[in-house]
Amino acid sequence: MTTAATVHKKRSRRSLSKTDRFTLATFIGIPTLLQVILLWVPAVVTIILSFTYWNGVRLKDIHWAGIQNYKNIFFNNPLFYQALKNNGIWLLFFILIATPLGILLAYQIDRGIKGHAFYESIYYLPVVLSLAVIGIIWNFMLQPGGFVQGLMGRDIGNAISIWGNPKINTWVILGIASWRHIGYIMLLYLSGLKSVDPALKEAAAIDGATDWQIFRKIILPTMQPVNIIIVVITLIESLRAFDLVYIIYGSPTIFPLLNLLVFQNFAGQGISMKGAAYAVILLVLCIVPIITYLRISFKEDLK
Amino acid sequence: MSTGVVQSAEYRNNQKRKDTAISTFIGIFAFVWIFPILWTVWTSLRPYNDIISYGIFSWPRHITLVNYFNAIREMHIGVYLMNSLIVTVPSVILTLFFGSLVAFVVTRYQYKFNLWILLLFTAGNMLPIVLTYIPVFWMFIWVGELFGNRNLLYNNYGGLILVHVGFQVGFATFVLSSYMKTIPKEISESAKIDGANVFRHYWSVILPLLRPALAALSVLMTTWIYNEFFWALVLMSDDSKRPITSALRRLQGQYVTDFNLLAAGAIIAASPTVIMFFVLRKQFIAGLTLGSTKG
Amino acid sequence: MSEEKNVLSRRSVIKGAAVGGAALAAGSTLSAGSADAATKLKGSTVKWTTRGGGATGDAIAKAVNDAFTKKTGAKVVAQQVNSDDFQNNFAQIMQGSPDDAFGWMAGYRSNHFGEMGLLADLTREIGHLKAGLPAAAIKGATSPVSKKPYILPTTYYPWGLHYRKSMVKDIGMNPENIGNWDDFIKMATLTQKKGLVGYSLGAKGGWEAMGTFDILNARVNGYKYHIDLLNGRAKWTDARTKETFKYFAQLIPFMNTNFMDISWDGMRDLLLQKKTGAMMMGSWFANDFKAKSQADYDDLWVVPFPEINPKFGVDTIDAPLDGISVAANGKNVSGGKALAEFWASPEGIAAAVKAGDTNIYVSKSFDTSAYDAFNKQKLAVLAAASNIMFFLDRDARGDFAGPVVGPAIQSFLQKPADINKILENVQAQWDALPKQ
Repeated sequence: MTTAATVHKKRSRRSLSKTDRFTLATFIGIPTLLQVILLWVPAVVTIILSFTYWNGVRLKDIHWAGIQNYKNIFFNNPLFYQALKNNGIWLLFFILIATPLGILLAYQIDRGIKGHAFYESIYYLPVVLSLAVIGIIWNFMLQPGGFVQGLMGRDIGNAISIWGNPKINTWVILGIASWRHIGYIMLLYLSGLKSVDPALKEAAAIDGATDWQIFRKIILPTMQPVNIIIVVITLIESLRAFDLVYIIYGSPTIFPLLNLLVFQNFAGQGISMKGAAYAVILLVLCIVPIITYLRISFKEDLK
Repeated sequence: MSTGVVQSAEYRNNQKRKDTAISTFIGIFAFVWIFPILWTVWTSLRPYNDIISYGIFSWPRHITLVNYFNAIREMHIGVYLMNSLIVTVPSVILTLFFGSLVAFVVTRYQYKFNLWILLLFTAGNMLPIVLTYIPVFWMFIWVGELFGNRNLLYNNYGGLILVHVGFQVGFATFVLSSYMKTIPKEISESAKIDGANVFRHYWSVILPLLRPALAALSVLMTTWIYNEFFWALVLMSDDSKRPITSALRRLQGQYVTDFNLLAAGAIIAASPTVIMFFVLRKQFIAGLTLGSTKG
Repeated sequence: MSEEKNVLSRRSVIKGAAVGGAALAAGSTLSAGSADAATKLKGSTVKWTTRGGGATGDAIAKAVNDAFTKKTGAKVVAQQVNSDDFQNNFAQIMQGSPDDAFGWMAGYRSNHFGEMGLLADLTREIGHLKAGLPAAAIKGATSPVSKKPYILPTTYYPWGLHYRKSMVKDIGMNPENIGNWDDFIKMATLTQKKGLVGYSLGAKGGWEAMGTFDILNARVNGYKYHIDLLNGRAKWTDARTKETFKYFAQLIPFMNTNFMDISWDGMRDLLLQKKTGAMMMGSWFANDFKAKSQADYDDLWVVPFPEINPKFGVDTIDAPLDGISVAANGKNVSGGKALAEFWASPEGIAAAVKAGDTNIYVSKSFDTSAYDAFNKQKLAVLAAASNIMFFLDRDARGDFAGPVVGPAIQSFLQKPADINKILENVQAQWDALPKQ
């Protein structure tokens, strides 16, 4: 038996047949081609275009611009710095408040409080909704003539400015984004928590540790890989924030975000390659989180 | 979870009180959490005239489904839902298919480029989408011109499907490859010994084993692709071809003052994913965790 | 580049429209040309896009398109799109697979895209309609660069102070009696005392506030300065521009505090719900009033923005010209041109008006004696001015008006004290624009 198997094994280590190699090539080739053409080539095109002047219609109108677009953005465009600030606040808020809340929620639910399955569903519900729907829902709540205004007895004439008030709107938008983000993080963490050995927790409890100590000293360290993934996901999500704000405002003038600035300048009626430059700046900001994520996820393979 | 642990009675009582407090808090918080959605549902159940005459907080004189009927009729929601279906289902199937193909090759066969392929796909999934919107649009137009039909990819369901697949295949590949690593090597070995060629190896041996992962992933992908609204705004100029989530933009502008009708439309648009979530909750959660925790 | 040539010389337009009555049915029928063209149309399909407008917009489109079908046997497939999304994605849509004809705007928006080859050249169609159109309207529809028209002019409307006649008591004074800036401020004060909004604004969309800026600049510094400013021949940092913003700042205390939260439709609702006094807006929203009720529509009135600098009086007004354009990449360009011509012809106009369109048409065939009181007043407001501008985002470059001026004005409204810094920045961004 063994001898035959060894012989067979030796045979299977010979090179694959032509058909097999062809099949493998197609298996890998087609998806890769699709990816490269739809993602990487356009990305490179955008990068190149950021160094040109163009109105986006006729090829003959492309002129080399060097770093003029970037200069324009960095020196002449206050919206850019507002957007950076907003993206930054978004990031900090998510990392310091939203994600920890999600983790906390996961931990509490995991401890087996009554009705935890029900709560899981409730808290996760916003994640399942399209941002187009979320925009409508929150408009009902907050716009002049909406729920919150009604609670305060104000109608459209004297409604408090929420979307337009720069002191408030940042927090409102972040609140809505967190509404979604917290549920997402909660679920991710919950599933990770399920894999923490309960025996560890029991042992610690027997030794007289409080819940907080258990969390800090046992759970957090065990969840290390998940922790890092959650951090990176938080980073990427906050840099990519776009859909929600587009739905609410349509244009980047009131609450600028890098993504919105890309769209406003790259598409529409006033196309300029400043849009491409904004996109490249965004890419540069994303590179570190992306590489970190890759290094962690493929830690063993990279060795 | 916590089992019968030996702790002091006092500590246990404290715990219980803390636990009840936390439970209550989480319970109340859950209500606040879901309130905006409840409010929208409530708005959709009240007729427009009631609100105009009596205000948004008035005691309901009528509870009615008329807004839903009107929404379906006036907003042609049926058409948009069908569009969503036409775009979502093939996208999910293709994404999972391509993802499984790539995952299959890189985990079952040793090639030097395996890791690079994986890196390429995973990184691709994390690129900011705005980097690609406009060039993809141009590409579609040029390719269309090449074949004499501008609408080959642009303003065409096929183009939209392609784009979704391109963007989601990275995630599918990543998840499926980490799942496949848990399938024992022996299975593949014996398949090769039995003389199966690569295709049979994939189709008859590995694919059936992927079923749980595919089920979980499909639920996730369906939600993401169904909820996506932006690509259709850029790539579809025919409003009647847009999926429901993109059409909501137009409806939002058109019915800006008829809250109740708009609410009904939004609820209808949200229903498919919500229903799917409640029915297939386990798969949903499994799909998420496949991607985030390894092994 | 020389966008100032887009503006009409006011007098000829009004004279043209006011002539009214008899005559001009003739020259405006469909391509009376060859029998070929007619047969090619019959049985073909033409696609039409309605840009916003809700139920009324659809009704008007249906009426005109049906009349076209009856006349030529060509089928029309119509769709309505969200106006903002259509504009935001215009370049893409025009390069992709656009509908054949659609309502569009004269000025930069039709000239720029026409020069780039995305809009069809409508010289022939304008030729057919020439007899029925005032020369100034034709000039307004023609690109100063290529000398070709890419839009068939149909409607226009004034930007003025709109108010409800039934509210004159609440406003405190009759807006018709406002003679100068001091009167205006007095009126706003009185209105505010009554608990209403003195000067309503909905600036969320980014362009609404341009209406106020345009008129203030034209009143304070004159029409020529304003056009020079929009085309780079005058500076944003000039003391004269700053002067305009000083006046603008005086209006801020009278505005509804949520002006950054609402767009133009919020402004319209403020008036509809009787929560504001006089409102600076373009008259296009009157269709919505009429859709609500005839009584609401009859309550509407409009007067020109008051004089500020006696040297200029009320000689200038924003009166955007709208029309019909044809996509160069549409599937049925000749059908699109025929449909566009029909919309702009007396027959098409008659169908639109019958279906509820309350806009004013430039066509000379239009019998203005049949106009309702509000429309006659619109004409009077237009007649009071000798210089016409189209509106800032139609008179200035697209990559400047929306992305730069819009946010600048919004920043100013939120922090009026920063105006000098804001203006320096606007000027810097103008200087950095690539040659077009």
